[in-house]
Amino acid sequence: MNTHTIDTDTPVISADAYDTAAFFTGSEAIAVVTNTTAPDAVPLPSPDASTAELLFAAQEAGRRAVPAPFTETALVARPLLRRAGLPVPDGPLSYAIAPELTIRYAHPAASPVGSAGCLGDDDTLLITGTLHRVPWARAAGAVVVLATAPSGPVLFTLDPDRAALTPGANLAGEPRDDLHLAPLEIPASRVRRIPRELLEEAEHRAALGRAALMAGAAERCVELTVAHTTARVQFGRPLSHFQAVKQEEARLIEEAALVRAAVQAAATPLDTGGPAAHFAVAAAKTQASASAAEIARIAHQLHGAIGITQLNPLHLATTRLWSWRDEDGDETDWALRLARSVTAATLWPALTTKP
Amino acid sequence: MCPSTLSPIAIPDAALPESARRLRTEVRAFLDEERARGTALGRPDSWLAGWDPGFSRRLAERGWVGMALPTEYGGAGRGFLERYVVIEELLAAGAPVSAHWVSDRQAGPSVLQHGTEEQRRFFLPRIAAGQCFFSIGMSEKSSGSDLASVHTRAERTSDGWRLTGTKMWTGGAHVNDYAIVLARTDEAEDKHTGLSQFIVDLRAPGVRIEPIRLMSGEHRFNAFHLDGVDVPDGMLLGRRGDGWKQVTGELAFERSGPERYLSTFPLLVSLLSELEHRSVTAGQLTQVGLLTARLHSVRRLSLGVAAALNAGASPDTQAALVKDLGTRLEGTLVDTVRSILPTRADPHATPGSHAELLAFALLHSPGYTLRGGTNEILRGIITRGLEQR
Repeated sequence: MNTHTIDTDTPVISADAYDTAAFFTGSEAIAVVTNTTAPDAVPLPSPDASTAELLFAAQEAGRRAVPAPFTETALVARPLLRRAGLPVPDGPLSYAIAPELTIRYAHPAASPVGSAGCLGDDDTLLITGTLHRVPWARAAGAVVVLATAPSGPVLFTLDPDRAALTPGANLAGEPRDDLHLAPLEIPASRVRRIPRELLEEAEHRAALGRAALMAGAAERCVELTVAHTTARVQFGRPLSHFQAVKQEEARLIEEAALVRAAVQAAATPLDTGGPAAHFAVAAAKTQASASAAEIARIAHQLHGAIGITQLNPLHLATTRLWSWRDEDGDETDWALRLARSVTAATLWPALTTKP
Repeated sequence: MCPSTLSPIAIPDAALPESARRLRTEVRAFLDEERARGTALGRPDSWLAGWDPGFSRRLAERGWVGMALPTEYGGAGRGFLERYVVIEELLAAGAPVSAHWVSDRQAGPSVLQHGTEEQRRFFLPRIAAGQCFFSIGMSEKSSGSDLASVHTRAERTSDGWRLTGTKMWTGGAHVNDYAIVLARTDEAEDKHTGLSQFIVDLRAPGVRIEPIRLMSGEHRFNAFHLDGVDVPDGMLLGRRGDGWKQVTGELAFERSGPERYLSTFPLLVSLLSELEHRSVTAGQLTQVGLLTARLHSVRRLSLGVAAALNAGASPDTQAALVKDLGTRLEGTLVDTVRSILPTRADPHATPGSHAELLAFALLHSPGYTLRGGTNEILRGIITRGLEQR
C-alpha cells in the first residue's frame, strides 16, 4: 500500500553535524526543509501526498532528527490552510492552537443583533496576547493560528516577523519560541471562520504528527542500541550475548513497535474524521508519550556511559522523545480524552471500528 | 511492508477485508443470542477455562469453527483474517470457546498442512463441525521451554508405533477426543531431529489421564500417561523425523493471536460498568485511557502479524514480540484494574460480579506469560531475529 519515495540510504544526521543555531540563521532553515538533496533533509512531500505517506515521512524525519519544522509544515499547517481555503505558502510553516488569545474585530459592526463588537464589518482582527512555545517560529514563513473570535472559531496566518519573539527551546534544542502580539492587526484576507470540527482536526493533526516523529525517534533508539550491543565487547563477548541485555533489548524493540503500530493505525481514521479519528489519534499519542520513558531508559542503559554524551548520537533521539511526549498533549491529556470517549458498551466497538 | 528499514518493528499494518465488517456484525448478533440463552459469557481467560461443547457446536453450525479450512474438507475457506475477527469477538465477549480452541487453532491447520489425505478427510470435517476436540501433547515434566528435550518414545511395531511416556499440561485431555503427541522416534546427536508427531486417541487402551489442579482448584490440565499406547501407522502426522519443524511452524499462529492479549479484556469491561455507577476521578480515567491505548496498539501489532501469516510469511520474531507484549498486558490489566477501583477479590462472590471476575483473573494471571513459551525465552528469539538481519 505504501508508495514512499524516501531514500533510506541517506545518512542520519550525526551528533557532530547537528547545530541548531547554524540551521536557523537566515534562510538556511528553508533550505533544510525544501532542498531535497541536502543530506539531512527529508524532502517535504507533495501537497497531494496521502496521510499515510505524510506519516511515513514524519517517522523518517523523527528517525533522522531532521532539524526543521517537518510535521508542523506537512501534517498540520498545509492541510489546515487548504481546508480553510487560504493560500499555502512555500517553505517551513508552523502552528499555534491558542484559545487564550484576546481577539476583537478591528472594524466592529454596529449590528442590531447580539452584543456590540461580536461581529465586524469585515473579518479583520485585532489580536492581543502571547503564543507560547511555537515550534520553530523563528524559522517559519508563517504561523497558522487557530483561536476563538467573538463570532466563533477562526483560523488566521501570522507573519512571525510582525511579533516580538522570545527565543526558547525544548530539551533537544529545537526552537520553541514565544510570540508576543500587542495588539496585532490581521487583515481579513488572512482570516477564515472555521467549523468547530476543524479545531479538533488541528489538535488531531498536531498530536499524530508528534506521535509519528516519536515513532521514528524510537526506531532510531532501537537501531543505535542494537548496533551498540552487537559491536561492544565486554568480558570477552558482545553485550548482545548477555541474557540480561537480551531481556531489556527485546522490551525496547517491543515498545518501539507498539508506538509505530499505534501511529500507523491512525492514518486512515485521520482522513475520515469523527469519533474513529478521535479514538485512533488519542490512542496513538497516549501510547507514544507513555512509551517514551521506557524506550529512552533502556536505550541509555544499554549504551552505557557513552550514551549520555554528545559524542554519541543517541541523545538526538532521546531528548526528542522526552520533549515530544509533552508537546501537543501528553499521555495524561490524551488518555483522559480517550477514556471519556468510551463506556463499557462502546469500548470493544471502538477498538474494532473499521478502518 | 514499509521499505524504511530492516527493523522487526516494521510490522505491516493490517487492513481487515471488507467482508470482516459484516462478519463481525453477525458474530455480535450470535453472541447476543447466547447471552439471552444464559450461556456463561463475560469470563476472563475463556479460551482456557470456558469449556462448553454445546456452544462450540452452535458456533460450528454458523461455520465459525475451522473457518480457515478449505471447503472441500468441511471448512469455510475464509482465511486467517476473517477467522481473526470471529475469535477476537468471542474472546472479547468472554465466550466459552476452550472445547474447540486447540482443534481450531492448531490441530486443524496442522492436519491440513502435514496430514495424509486420509487424515484430512477424517479429521477436518469433524473439527469444522465442532464434533472433534483436540489436546496438545508437547510439554513434559522436565521440558518446559526446552521442548526438544522430550523423552516420550515411539517404538516401531509390526503395523504402527507404541508410545511410552508422560506428557504434562495437557489441557482438556480428560474431556477431549484426540491429542497430537510429540515423541522421539529416532536417536540423534541433535535433539531437534528424530522427533515425530502422532495423533493419539485419548480413549485408546494404555492412555491414563491424571488431573493437575490449578491453584484456583480448577481441573483444566492433566498429566497424560502413555503406557505403551498402540498408534496405527496412519496416525503418524507428517513425516517421521520432521516433528520439530512441524511444531515450530505452528508457533507463529499460536503466539500472535488475539488470545495473547484479550484473556483479561472482559475484566476491563466489567470495571467500566462498575465505574458507570460511581463518581470517577480524572486519575481513574487516565489509567483506563492508558490501558485502552495499549490494548489498541497491541491489537494492531497482532493484526499485522495475522496479515503477514495470511500472506504466507513466517513472522516468528514478530509473533514472539506480540506474545511478550500481549501477555504482559493481560497481567498488567488485572493489577491496574484492581488499583483503579480497589476491590476485594472474592472467588465466592456472585458469579459474574466484579469481585468474582477479579479473583478469577488474578488466579489465572501467572499463566499468561508461561503458556506458549515463557516470555523470557521469547525475548531471546526477538533479539536473535533482530541481530540476524
